[in-house]
Amino acid sequence: MAKSDNLGHFSFKNNEKTAVGSVLYNEHLRLIEKNRFAEFAGYLMPLWFSSISAEHNAVRESAGLFDCTHMGILEFAGKNARDFLNIIATNDTGKLKTGSAQYNYILDAAGNVLDDIIIYRLSEDKYMVVVNAANEPKIKAYLEALINNDAIVDIEKPQRKLDYKPAIRDMRDPNNGTDCRVDIALQGPKSMVLLLSMISKEKDREQLENLKSFHLFETELDGYDCIISRTGYTGAKIGFELFVHPEKAADLWSLLLEKGKSLGIIPCGLGARDSLRIEAGLPLYGHELAGEFNINPFEAGYGWAVKLEKEFFIGQAAMRKKAEARNMQVARIELPGQKGIRPARSHDGILDENGLCVGWVLSCAGVSDKQIALVYISSKTIERNPPLGLYYLARSKGQIEKGKKDKARKNEKLEPDIPGKIIERFAKF
Amino acid sequence: MVIEGLFYTKEHEWAKVDGDTATIGITDYAQEQLGEITFVELPAVGKEVKQKDELAVVESSKAASDVYSPMSGKVTQVNSDLESTPEQINDDCYNAGWICTIEITDAKVIDNLMDSKQYEEYLNGL
Repeated sequence: MAKSDNLGHFSFKNNEKTAVGSVLYNEHLRLIEKNRFAEFAGYLMPLWFSSISAEHNAVRESAGLFDCTHMGILEFAGKNARDFLNIIATNDTGKLKTGSAQYNYILDAAGNVLDDIIIYRLSEDKYMVVVNAANEPKIKAYLEALINNDAIVDIEKPQRKLDYKPAIRDMRDPNNGTDCRVDIALQGPKSMVLLLSMISKEKDREQLENLKSFHLFETELDGYDCIISRTGYTGAKIGFELFVHPEKAADLWSLLLEKGKSLGIIPCGLGARDSLRIEAGLPLYGHELAGEFNINPFEAGYGWAVKLEKEFFIGQAAMRKKAEARNMQVARIELPGQKGIRPARSHDGILDENGLCVGWVLSCAGVSDKQIALVYISSKTIERNPPLGLYYLARSKGQIEKGKKDKARKNEKLEPDIPGKIIERFAKF
Repeated sequence: MVIEGLFYTKEHEWAKVDGDTATIGITDYAQEQLGEITFVELPAVGKEVKQKDELAVVESSKAASDVYSPMSGKVTQVNSDLESTPEQINDDCYNAGWICTIEITDAKVIDNLMDSKQYEEYLNGL
């Protein structure tokens, strides 16, 4: 059984399992060969269908369909579900209204980010929480530890216990009958048109047209029961997540593709999912959040989702200290990226105008003839905003022999390989 | 796609042997795995390599992959077109996407390579 240590740190090791296909695996196999799949969080997920750039562009210009059925979906129900979530999550969850959704973090008592999540309030006493696929086993173990009083809630009052014990269900568990849900994302400007064409009730069509960002409602898409939420992970202004029964997911997926074809809507894999979220500036757990640099929400640019002033949440005291102490931040930068330019990768050095290493690349994606990178650099550099340089680390023995370093150290003087510049933290589309 | 008459490595390089010269590239399977190739680091002309030595680096947005030499010998020509149009490897890995030619100094190492039939069987087992 997983427990937290005396300092409130909760650690958990995933069991190594053989990767399995998602509920849409057979649909994907009609379109692509097996070697196009990659293991991701215990699932075999498609990397790309047509090409990463074609799929990226489809989301920006028409729309793309994403298999997100690997994402964890938990339901919190009962009279005290609200109070429980308000304590385990960092945002103003207590103020969340029925039909709306909110971005949140789950921390341990030591203030480490265990996951970034979205909480959807389905009704008065029912919430749906979407967690990262890779973190789902850990979050389930953490919730169990909290409910069993095996995890420290408050490092300032180690005796503090949680009184609330909501009913928590795994919404993807087939034992949960008709309530079961998996996530399919339809993202991009044409997504609205396609969904409107699949809703028969006038009232529901109106509701969809007026649905604001981070709001949701239940309807039928050509007869399939769905929760439609205006949320996503691509930065698209118009984009939706469709929560459908796992046994209906394959049929809905192929129907969406068939009906979306004339609108230029295409299936998208993990590659485009990554390049879209990087271009938009959105963090990925383990890269721009937590991970080897233990990046916190304030450094990631999401301090607004951590309500330090609210009465209490787990990890609050520790997070308060981290918020004050921060001197590194995530920034979005632009680099040249035409063909023949070596792609920047995680850990490559970011240099200031004097060639001093001020931080490192976290993620990078090629977008048309540029590269957009999310980097972790000193806050002072971001304030000064000098022209930057990028130092490629050696990728092979041969490059090390030619004098390339395989590690860039902070404040080390290095020769820039390509120029870069800081751009807005988030992109708008 | 596997082409008859070429020699193959387990790391998905191909070699076309013509007298004492071998043309080297990466296979269709390799380019497919890498996705859109955006950068190729070519070897220096005159470089001496042994079989399995690093010869080139091919990078896509998703991965950097070392290309190991299927042959032992001296690099005589490189396909410098790849510096500006690396996508030629995606488009035509067995022809326009060739990486370099090697003057073979030790023909015995060819015995360590697979022929097209063996390579195809190897791919089926992956």
